[in-house]
Amino acid sequence: MKTFLRILAGLVLVGVIALLAFIFVPVQRTEPTTELAADWQAAEGQGELVLDAGDCVACHTSDDGESLAGGRAIASPMGTIWSTNITPDAETGIGNWSFADFRAAMIDGVTPNGTHLYPAMPYENYRLMTEEDMRALYDYLMTEVEPVSAANKDTNLDFPFNQRWGIRAWNWLALTHDAGFTPAGVSDAQDRGQYLVESLGHCGACHTPRNTFMAQDGVTAESESFLAGGVVGGWNAPALRGDDAGIKGWTVSELADYLATGRNAHSTANGEMALVVEHSLQKLPDSDNIAIAAYLKGMDGDAFDLPEEVAAAGPIATPEAEADDAGAATAELLVSADPDMPLGARLYSDNCLGCHFASGKGAPGIFPELQGNGLVVGSEVSPLISVILNGAEVPPTAKRPMTLRMQGYADRLSDDEVAELATWLRGAWGNDAGAVAPEAVAEVRDSDSAH
Amino acid sequence: MTDLPGYPSRRNFLKGSAAGFALTGIAASAEAQTEAPVSLDEYQTEYLNEAEWAFIMAATARLIPSEGDGPGAIETRVPVFIDRQLASDYGTADDWYMEGPHDADAEPNRGWQTPLNPAEVYRQAIPVFDAWCQDTHGAGFAELDEERQDAALTSLSNGDVALAPEVRDFWSLLLSNTKEGYFADPQYGGNAGMQSWVYIGFPGARAAYREWPERHNIEYPLGPVSISGERA
Amino acid sequence: MARTEPKKDVVIVGLGWTGSIAGIELAQEGLDIVALERGHDQNTVPNFEYPQQIDELKYGVRVKMMQKPSQQTLTVRRSGDETALPYRSLGSFLPGNGVGGAGTHWNGLNWRPMPEELRLRSYVTENWGEDIIPEGMTIGDYPVSYDELEPFFTQFEKVAGIAGKAGNLNGEIQEGGNPFEGWRSEEFPMPAHKPTFDSAKFGEAASAMGYHPFTASAGIASTSYTNPYGMQMGPCNFCGFCERFGCYQYSKSSPQTAILGALKQYPNFEYRTNSEVLKIETAPDGQTATGVTYWDEEAQEEVFQPADIVILSSYQLNNVHLMLLSGIGGPVYDPVTGEGVLGKNYAYQMNGGVSMFFEDEQFNPFVGHGANGIALDDFAINQNDFGALGFIGGSYWRSGTFNGQPIRSMRLPSGTPAWGAGWKEGIKKWYGHSMSIGSHGSHMAYANNHLDLDPTYTDRHGRPLMRMTFNWQDNDLRMNQYMKSKMEPLAASMNPDLMQSGFKGPGAQYDVRPYQTTHNTGGHIMSTNAREGSVNRYSQAWDKHNVFVMGAGNFVQNTQYNPTGLVGGLAYHTVNAIRTQYLSNPRPLV
Repeated sequence: MKTFLRILAGLVLVGVIALLAFIFVPVQRTEPTTELAADWQAAEGQGELVLDAGDCVACHTSDDGESLAGGRAIASPMGTIWSTNITPDAETGIGNWSFADFRAAMIDGVTPNGTHLYPAMPYENYRLMTEEDMRALYDYLMTEVEPVSAANKDTNLDFPFNQRWGIRAWNWLALTHDAGFTPAGVSDAQDRGQYLVESLGHCGACHTPRNTFMAQDGVTAESESFLAGGVVGGWNAPALRGDDAGIKGWTVSELADYLATGRNAHSTANGEMALVVEHSLQKLPDSDNIAIAAYLKGMDGDAFDLPEEVAAAGPIATPEAEADDAGAATAELLVSADPDMPLGARLYSDNCLGCHFASGKGAPGIFPELQGNGLVVGSEVSPLISVILNGAEVPPTAKRPMTLRMQGYADRLSDDEVAELATWLRGAWGNDAGAVAPEAVAEVRDSDSAH
Repeated sequence: MTDLPGYPSRRNFLKGSAAGFALTGIAASAEAQTEAPVSLDEYQTEYLNEAEWAFIMAATARLIPSEGDGPGAIETRVPVFIDRQLASDYGTADDWYMEGPHDADAEPNRGWQTPLNPAEVYRQAIPVFDAWCQDTHGAGFAELDEERQDAALTSLSNGDVALAPEVRDFWSLLLSNTKEGYFADPQYGGNAGMQSWVYIGFPGARAAYREWPERHNIEYPLGPVSISGERA
Repeated sequence: MARTEPKKDVVIVGLGWTGSIAGIELAQEGLDIVALERGHDQNTVPNFEYPQQIDELKYGVRVKMMQKPSQQTLTVRRSGDETALPYRSLGSFLPGNGVGGAGTHWNGLNWRPMPEELRLRSYVTENWGEDIIPEGMTIGDYPVSYDELEPFFTQFEKVAGIAGKAGNLNGEIQEGGNPFEGWRSEEFPMPAHKPTFDSAKFGEAASAMGYHPFTASAGIASTSYTNPYGMQMGPCNFCGFCERFGCYQYSKSSPQTAILGALKQYPNFEYRTNSEVLKIETAPDGQTATGVTYWDEEAQEEVFQPADIVILSSYQLNNVHLMLLSGIGGPVYDPVTGEGVLGKNYAYQMNGGVSMFFEDEQFNPFVGHGANGIALDDFAINQNDFGALGFIGGSYWRSGTFNGQPIRSMRLPSGTPAWGAGWKEGIKKWYGHSMSIGSHGSHMAYANNHLDLDPTYTDRHGRPLMRMTFNWQDNDLRMNQYMKSKMEPLAASMNPDLMQSGFKGPGAQYDVRPYQTTHNTGGHIMSTNAREGSVNRYSQAWDKHNVFVMGAGNFVQNTQYNPTGLVGGLAYHTVNAIRTQYLSNPRPLV
């Protein structure tokens, strides 16, 4: 609610000040960064790769609809935004769009008739796309995708968010960066990774904190806030840089495994990230996931080795890790099965120990470690509560096709018990995060049952 | 993949509202510690009639008596378990092949051959056994003193009570159903408070002992948990 | 016929271990495949999820994961003189139900046969002469050798994720493994489990007597594991709920953990549940099958599914039943004349064991898994002098807790009252204070043990039930008594307070009530020619070259081991033949 009010206040303020100017001055389109020859042809598969890396299908396809035909409801605090049809259907899709029209939508957030797109469309990030990828994607959409006749649904937000000129005001603050990509020039792999992270993958949309105007607080590594961790819908999108980053202890190989399969020696992908893995990252070539991992690991200047492949084929047997010094006391308590253990430890023994083990280290590739786990110790507690109540699921991926599901405990644990367990988890194995109140559990449980 | 309960959807742009939690599932609050159940005197049976209930109460009380160390069938509410089982698809043998012709008199090692289901075996056998008790010991089973009840059950177990072939498995059903009720998860009505598990040292539904194979000859000390999460 | 589905390249009947193997290997060839599964769909979560799965009454006692006799069963008699009676409620054996089949509820005991077991008749004849084979014993050689199957055993063990320690690597005997096993081309894909207290005691006692104990191989993960299909297992936590249960922990080797997720990724593969195959249909010329007719439970109608290849991969009993009903697999076996092949050489398993009670020692019997323990093969088929001992056969021994569930596994000294105060005292005194050693023995094939159709009883579709004629035979009972005579001294050497044996002896009659084992074998056996069996060395029906029949029904006689390892090896051997020989030129491969 606070966030909502903040957005409201910010937008209204800016809107009022700039009202007249923004309503009446025509919108300027950003010029292309590179002029491609008229007969320029994308490499085989390039357009599809851009589509996958940009994760277009996820938003532009509804649950039971045709691919890319739009119609997915995107919840926002301002109301429901409906994604649009981007198949080349002339009537209802983008069949009549010129390449310049398409580019303008992608980097300026403006449609051919001058309407501003809501920034649910991450044009802040797509603005950094290369002209080649832009063309490849445009050509792919226009020639490889079947046109689907599916009329767009009108997005009707409440005032003032239904005033699209307000978005123009917002763009004025958010789109201060130049279009096009500037590689840091560290190595080929890292440059490729930088491009995928900054631009197509739009990682910053979640992993970069939002500023006062709810714009990403930096869209390239030049900003210290870039990928420093965000909060999205009550979930922590963890920091990907800095000493506190959850991935700090991961190798490039482990990080690439996680991207490609949603699971690695330490953790499994949850919620939003699981969807990114399922719809986008698992479809990328190994070299791209390695490049992303290399770029992220290189941001802090760490040395690393590049693996040759991602998530190698089995048979692979990997013993689980023993408890470390920080986790030893907790592990010893759990192994003792002492009847006098505190309630939190008892609840862990009765519900979690079977898979996550006494060590807090879980089991590689399948049961995530809970020691230092960002979801366990994050500033936001509702994700942890939600996983305990409702379970979790890692989707099948090409290289690790098993669906990993954790069952939920909503009907086995009371609010008090979940709070006790969550609080205990946030202090076990050297974890050092605050207590969870039963009221917070009730809130998550109630919000679940509201649907 | 369908969005999971509790997860924000990626389609929730600039979320921050609880509306991001999509959901299914059971919202009922889950107080694991169950309320005190009705007393056996007030229990409303699902299958057994009054006389049968009196018999089951009396018989199970002797099969697993209350005296001595450890809980008996009555404290663990075994009669409730048996009543509910006979009312369930077990009592009606839904899973079994019950087509004829039947040869109820076949050798016992040929398996279940009576045309009756377990609930019908109880229904037909209890009056026969009660009548035998009347003839032999002077009263129906439930009215006998404990010593005579034990004697009657011993006769039943030895095959000394004449039962038609169709109900000859009554004793073995009664005894195995009684033990099932004593040891099964409390959700089936018996093993109240997991008392039998506590008594013998079985941790119930914990099912998590990764470090224990190597702890040789050390007694596992932690009490049981039930499927519903009840702790003892 | 209410409905005909579009033709497929392959129809698979039954989506358990072998159906899944056939599915994924043939899907890799790009074939258009449909699998028909009689039961429901099931996945680790929600079908096996914690804590609902940890329910002894529901799954252990009421056996809710199993085939329901009301849906499908058979009749049993002990000899041709008896009238067969229906197997009305489950007891002696427990066929599975639903996707994953028996592969979901097994114990995870994965063994390879001994090389000698696959050429048993020759082995006996060469060493002791044909004369020691008793009259009525119909043992034979498998038409495929251990050496030929070795790569496929290895392949299955990698897919299934088997933990263990090799005892014979390419002929080199390995410390810690089974020195009497057949050669292995590679070490096990996962390390062996650590022993529980009872296993360790047994191992020490066995070593002291000069035997050769080793950790039993297990389809139960000892570590995190990823198989060649990318499928995964998590390390087992010894929860003690394996047999009769699905594994909540992704630790037990099953089609769910080893194959199905990968298989479902193939767009050219689909499966239909609640689809019970009633008959395999035959072309007018009788040379091939045209597809199968099945019952669509949801639509409540019969459906014809045409296909170029039929893979029969349901449970052994159901495979034989379908073949009897469809006229596939050769003429029905007649035990009097010895003519015919289908239904021949039904075999089972001859087991026994010793229980030991130690009042002052604590075994925590609930800490275990289905394939836990230390085993030994000093009395195995290739170690026994059949001529001197007077029987043909052998067994492996094993000790290790596999469940401490109190309804089913309350081990009490004989003489403890079955009820009353004495029973209640007994359960407190002895629960957790006993251990056992099991003997898992071979079962030979006999003319008297066979399968055909019942003349009286029918199933819900009006089809005749299958009839099993089976009883214990002296040879195997003698083997069992020999194991008793050897195991009791070993048990006694451990100085228990009390001990007792359970070994069937002379005159034992088959009793369908107590659970014995779900290792039903034979009935559509492999052979070198069509006069001796139903299928050839590639499990291809002699009489219909586009029908391949998977599973333990292929066993010429049963081995002394749990059958899954041989079933898996034969399945990969068969599918390899289809891929490399049959698809390019469909024909009889022998």
